[in-house]
Amino acid sequence: MKKWFVLHRKEWLEMTRNYKVIWIPLIFVLFGLMQPITSYYMPEILKNASNLPEGSVIEIPMPTSGEVLAQTLGQFNQMGILVLVLAFMGIVSSERKSGMLKAILVKPVRFSSYITAKWMSAVLLSVGAIFLGMLASWYYTVLLIGDYPFMNIVKGTSLYLIWIMFLLTFTVFLSTFLKSSGFVAAFTLLLSILLTLLTSLFEKYMEWSPAQLTNAAASLFISGKLEGPLMLPLITTVILTALILYLAATRKSSL
Amino acid sequence: MELLEVKSLTKSFGKHVAVNDLSFSIEEGRCVALLGANGAGKTTTLEMLASLQKPTNGSISFLSVEKRDYREYIGYLPQYPVFFPWMNAIEYLVLMGELSGLSKSKAVARANELLELLGIADAKKRKIGGYSGGMKQRLGIAQALIHEPKLLMLDEPVSALDPVGRREILELMKLLKETTTILFSTHILHDAEEVCDDVIMIHKGELAVTASLSELRRKHQEDVIIISADENLDAWAGSIENWNIVSKVISTNNKIEIYVKNVAEARNLLLVEITEKKLPITKFTVGQTSLEDLFMEVVGR
Ligand SMILES: Nc1ncnc2c1ncn2[C@@H]1O[C@H](COP(=O)(O)OP(=O)(O)OP(=O)(O)O)[C@@H](O)[C@H]1O
Ligand SMILES: [Mg+2]
Repeated sequence: MKKWFVLHRKEWLEMTRNYKVIWIPLIFVLFGLMQPITSYYMPEILKNASNLPEGSVIEIPMPTSGEVLAQTLGQFNQMGILVLVLAFMGIVSSERKSGMLKAILVKPVRFSSYITAKWMSAVLLSVGAIFLGMLASWYYTVLLIGDYPFMNIVKGTSLYLIWIMFLLTFTVFLSTFLKSSGFVAAFTLLLSILLTLLTSLFEKYMEWSPAQLTNAAASLFISGKLEGPLMLPLITTVILTALILYLAATRKSSL
Repeated sequence: MELLEVKSLTKSFGKHVAVNDLSFSIEEGRCVALLGANGAGKTTTLEMLASLQKPTNGSISFLSVEKRDYREYIGYLPQYPVFFPWMNAIEYLVLMGELSGLSKSKAVARANELLELLGIADAKKRKIGGYSGGMKQRLGIAQALIHEPKLLMLDEPVSALDPVGRREILELMKLLKETTTILFSTHILHDAEEVCDDVIMIHKGELAVTASLSELRRKHQEDVIIISADENLDAWAGSIENWNIVSKVISTNNKIEIYVKNVAEARNLLLVEITEKKLPITKFTVGQTSLEDLFMEVVGR
């Protein structure tokens, strides 16, 4: 257990030295800010951008706070996932490539400690970054558009984070198996896009899908209550995450 | 006592057999050289012993126990050591120390001690990314020693070093072998002869020779007299070839190597010859062949 913390601490030191602890949260905060701000100024932006005849009036209904927050979530679900996957695609594969994996595993360290310490650092940083991003979004939404209950933010974001954890675990998993970080990113993004797409296309058959958690979080933001399937996707996601992590941590073959 | 015993160790990569049915053992307190040409399977063997590769076949027992995790008792220097370039030497050694099971304070003390011993204490606060190859090699040895292992395994510890560095590391190994069992690989026989007690020679993945250095010397070393001269002495070299005290004569340019059976007698006879024939010699050396020849014999052709 002590060695696990040593490894975990090393991950944080590395993420500090390469500024990941700064730029990842920063990107999420920026995405978070942008949504309420662009929604608020959208009429002005459109007015300036288009060459409408003098005197014409643009009427765009101002979205509700909940809608803006759900849009932020949508933004996180595209650009945010891209950022996280790119940031963590090499988490294991780059160390295997450089030979650092061997340098560490020649010491009496369990492979599972090595993987789970890395996994935990990626999860904690991502959770922190997304919470900060949502917090920024919430703050500006309240400021510019209208009041919104803070507890809903916490609930919705937590739900959404389970989906993110699933994708992060998948990233770590692929990173332990694949040589190329590029493939890790490509396959994880493919999985995320496929799941999201299939879930919206075949809603009936995809009630179990982890991507349902995003929908659940969005509906919570918009209407204040949970609509659609929740327990089933929650259970499958948790089980799948645990299973993938287990497979990654018990991988035995060549280093 | 037997520290490590290897029985019919085999490793194949697909069809290619890198290590084939290798058996040997290492006694505690010995310094053992693993000799072999490029591609002989030295690195593969050492990585299997360090549990970095799984043997295709065969067994390894450490202190008479088979299939145990003995990583806490070994220190390993890879052929091309790598580090976290964004760490400095102290941070790296402390990390490796803690991963080896030392407490933080013990690891710090040990790290400083080793940096001093290896002569890179001046650079200990510098990022490893900026280290030279030789400094990395030293840091690699330091990380292998951090937890005072019972068995130190070094994969070509001096190949990457300049003559001065090579000298220093060989001296260090002589010092270390007083307290630690050492297994090191090399393709330079001269280095092996200088520090090791035992030799394991492998060729194309198979065991060729395993013996103590003194045994090898007794069996394979010959007395040799080397004569250098101002002019070509090929003709004369031919004439002494059939002396029955001479076993072999090799003449190249202005140098003649004469392998002899009885060095004292041969020396006198040769000196008499030289004075009688007024041969213009510049150098007359009496010595012994190195084990290089044995190595060439095993590896060669
Ligand atoms: N991962 C691998 N896949 C395929 N073949 C390999 C692999 N590792 C080693 N080999 C082969 O096994 C043989 C032995 O390699 P090894 O690295 O052990 O040699 P070595 O004695 O350390 O050589 P050198 O002195 O050049 O370091 C070589 O023919 C090499 O090509
Ligand atoms: Mg090698």
